[in-house]
Order: sequence, then structure tokens, then C-alpha cells
Amino acid sequence: MPTAARTYWLTSPCRIRRKDESLVIEREAAPKVHIPITDVRDIIACAETDINTAVVSLLNRHRISVHLLSYYGDYAGSLVTSDTSTSGQTVLAQANLAQQPSASMAIARSLVDACAFNVRRVVDRQLLTAPYTTLQASIKEAETPLHLMGAEGTFRRSAWEVIDTKLPDWLQLHGRSRRPPRNAGNAFISYVNGIIYARVLSAVRLTPLHSGIAFLHSSLERQRHSLVLDLAEMFKPLFAERLLLRMASRKQLKKHHFDTGTNQAMLSEAGRKLVVQTVRDELATSVNHRSLGRPVAYDELIYLDALALTRHCLEGTRYKPFRIWW
Amino acid sequence: MISDEDVGGVHIKYLHHCRRQLWLYLRGIRPEHLNATVQLGEAVHDSSYPRHSPVDLGAAKLDFVDGHQWVHEVKSSSRPTDADRAQAYHYCHQLARFGNDVKGAILHYPATRRTVRLPYTPEATAQAEEDIQEVLSVATALTSPDRLPRNRCRGCSYIDYCWTE
Repeated sequence: MPTAARTYWLTSPCRIRRKDESLVIEREAAPKVHIPITDVRDIIACAETDINTAVVSLLNRHRISVHLLSYYGDYAGSLVTSDTSTSGQTVLAQANLAQQPSASMAIARSLVDACAFNVRRVVDRQLLTAPYTTLQASIKEAETPLHLMGAEGTFRRSAWEVIDTKLPDWLQLHGRSRRPPRNAGNAFISYVNGIIYARVLSAVRLTPLHSGIAFLHSSLERQRHSLVLDLAEMFKPLFAERLLLRMASRKQLKKHHFDTGTNQAMLSEAGRKLVVQTVRDELATSVNHRSLGRPVAYDELIYLDALALTRHCLEGTRYKPFRIWW
Repeated sequence: MISDEDVGGVHIKYLHHCRRQLWLYLRGIRPEHLNATVQLGEAVHDSSYPRHSPVDLGAAKLDFVDGHQWVHEVKSSSRPTDADRAQAYHYCHQLARFGNDVKGAILHYPATRRTVRLPYTPEATAQAEEDIQEVLSVATALTSPDRLPRNRCRGCSYIDYCWTE
């Protein structure tokens, strides 16, 4: 990851313009902001954003992607740069692995296992021991990715129940619901998951991998980035569940952070700002990396995990998906 | 994969630094643009000797050639290495292939304000040719070469790729 560059988060409606070799962010009722292009790694637009060709060509030259989150907070799409980082041989090796049922199932199994491990780690180790053991058994027996996802779903359901016991009444999930999220807790999780998806996409685009060829989710389907869905699995608990529990116990989340209607909920303007800020700060948190021997930001962990997968594809070294180790 | 005419300065440099790096580079793994040291090197390159223009030989790109047929190469590091010398000889070799009567190479180290003069001798020619063959043999290797000892990876832009577990 570029050491100097950073992610820019746009939380209020704005227009991005180009001024020579830098970006200008124009907002209503706020002064213009000039940003040197070398300072930008990617942009996440959480509010209405206007953009034009001049900006896109500058962004493309510097390999900067813009991720757009919709009004409801779900992932709306990305302006991704052309495939400059992919390497032909890596993509071929990746596709080859994805087509061998035994090899791709091995990766899929480890992904599901790591995801569940992380969920258990952030939610409750004690209470989720039994479901986790059951999951590990069914992972072994599973023969297709569909079985795996089914087993993961069962584990997740018990995890949601445990989470509910730790949340105040109004934040409880009562089962996961999407599009639209049914209640405040679900709205929070959906929103954070959207951000994580965007971050993982950014990271994958920096590696030689193809973002469409996946191992757990079905490849090249409905124009989504399947590999990103795969890799996001392990990182969602680190942010979504963990932050929800933390912010609830610190009483940082208030009712006015959500707009709740009948049977649906979303973050309000203020809530969105708070959540984006929290996630942004969380992404910048660093931990000491054992094999690299230096502090690594959570953000960079995503990139490193994608690199490890690259190595698995290209050189056949063992791929151990990200597990919270601290 | 590549032929001897495609071998450029970067290939030679990586060959002498780390064969694994070269193998990965040849397979399109290019994390350099994410690396601060590389960015610094580019900045040093852009800001040193602005009056001279680079010479593009297709595969190799020389910093500049003076009127007395000496090849000049600007380095951002402070100390000459084997890789630097090999790269310089490679450039001389490339120029000689195009029928130039090359005298040798001069390496510039703006950080320490030193220069190193390397006359282009028959031994240098032999080394340059041998290096090209070495690059080709790494290129065709089916499995990746092993990692260097960890302490020699310092400052390499492939470190994240090679050493994440």
C-alpha cells in the first residue's frame, strides 16, 4: 500500500473537479478543498457526488478508484481504474485453481473457517464454542460451496442471537435482514459491510488478482466482484460486528442516528457521519505484524491478505486467510 | 516469454539483487508504484540533471549519453552495488549492439555526490552477455526461486508479497 497516500471519505454532497494535477472538492456552504493527487489512494463517496471526464482521466492515470455508496448506504458501484495491476499469468493460475473443485473447495473451506473464527473472536468465545465446533465438522463434510454457505449461515444465526443478548432493545437485530435492513442494528451492519466491500475492492485492484474469479462465491456473476465478496468475509466481523458491539456498549449510538420507518431502517445524516468516522479511524488502527515485523494498519491487512492469496495462486504456497491474532 | 532483445536494465538490476524478484517481475507482479523508496528514486531521477534527455533503446532506457560516448546513469542510493555496475555494463552492451563505440559508463550518486567510472572492457561485454542469458534462464524457470534471507529484503518493494504469512 502506498505509504503516503490515504483514503478520502466524502460525507457531504459535493462535486469533484480537476485543477491541473490536483483535485478540488467543492461543497455547498463550505470552502473548496484542494487535494494533491499523490495524496489520494482511493475515494469513498458516502454522499451525492458529481464527477467529470477530466477528473476520471486524472484518477485513472494515478490508479485511484472511487467507490460510491448510495443514499441508503448500500454499495452502489465504483469507478475503478482500468486493469493495470493484473498479471496475465496470475489470473490464469487463479482461474485454473478456481476450476479445480478440490483446490477451490480447500480455499473456500479455509475462508469460511476463518470468517467464523473471527466472528467467534469478536462476539463471544464461550457461547459460540459449540456452534463453531459444529461448523468445523460440517465444513469437513461439505462438498460444494453451497453446502459451505449453508453451514456458515447456521453458524451466523447463532452468532446473531448471541449478539442480540449484548445489545440494548432498540438495537437488536432479530435476525439479519438486508435490502432494506429491517431495524437499526441491521442498518448499521449493512452500512459497514458496504464500506468494507469497497475497501477490499480497492485492495484487490492493487494486486495482480482478478476481482471476478472467486472460490467461495460463484465467479463472474451478475457483474459483481466475486473475489471481493470472498475476501470481505473475514474482514466484516472485524469491523461490522465488532464496532456495533463496541459502540453500543459505549452508548455512542443514539436513536437519532437512525431513520426508522415501518419495517425498514437506515442511518441518518448524523449517524452516517459518525459511523464513517469510526470506521475510518478503525481502519487506521495498527497492529504489529508478526512475519513482516512492523506495524500494519487494519486497512493494509486487507491488501496483505489479497497478496497471500496471489502467492497461493502463483506459487502454491499455503494460504491462511486472515484471522484476528491479537 | 521474453527474448534476449527484451532484456532491460531493470531485469539486470533485479537479477543481481534477487532472482525471485526478477521471476515475479517477469510474471507481471509490479508492486513498485506502491513503494515510497521507488517513488523517491523516481523523484531523484526527475530532479537530477534536468538538462539531459533520456535515450530510449526499446528494452533499456538510459539516463543520458554524453558527447564522448560515455553512458550516464543516476542512482538514488548512496553506495554503488553489483547490480548498479551490471546495469551500467548492460547499457553499454545495448549501445554497442546498435553500433556505437561506447567508452564506458558513469554512475552518479547525487546523495553522496560521488561518481563511479566504469570503462567498457571485453570482460564487461562477456559479463553483460552472460547476464542476459541468466535473465532468460530465470524467465523460463517453472517454479519461483527461494526468498533471500530476511535481512536482505530490507527496502525491497516485493517484501510485502514475499513475507506475508
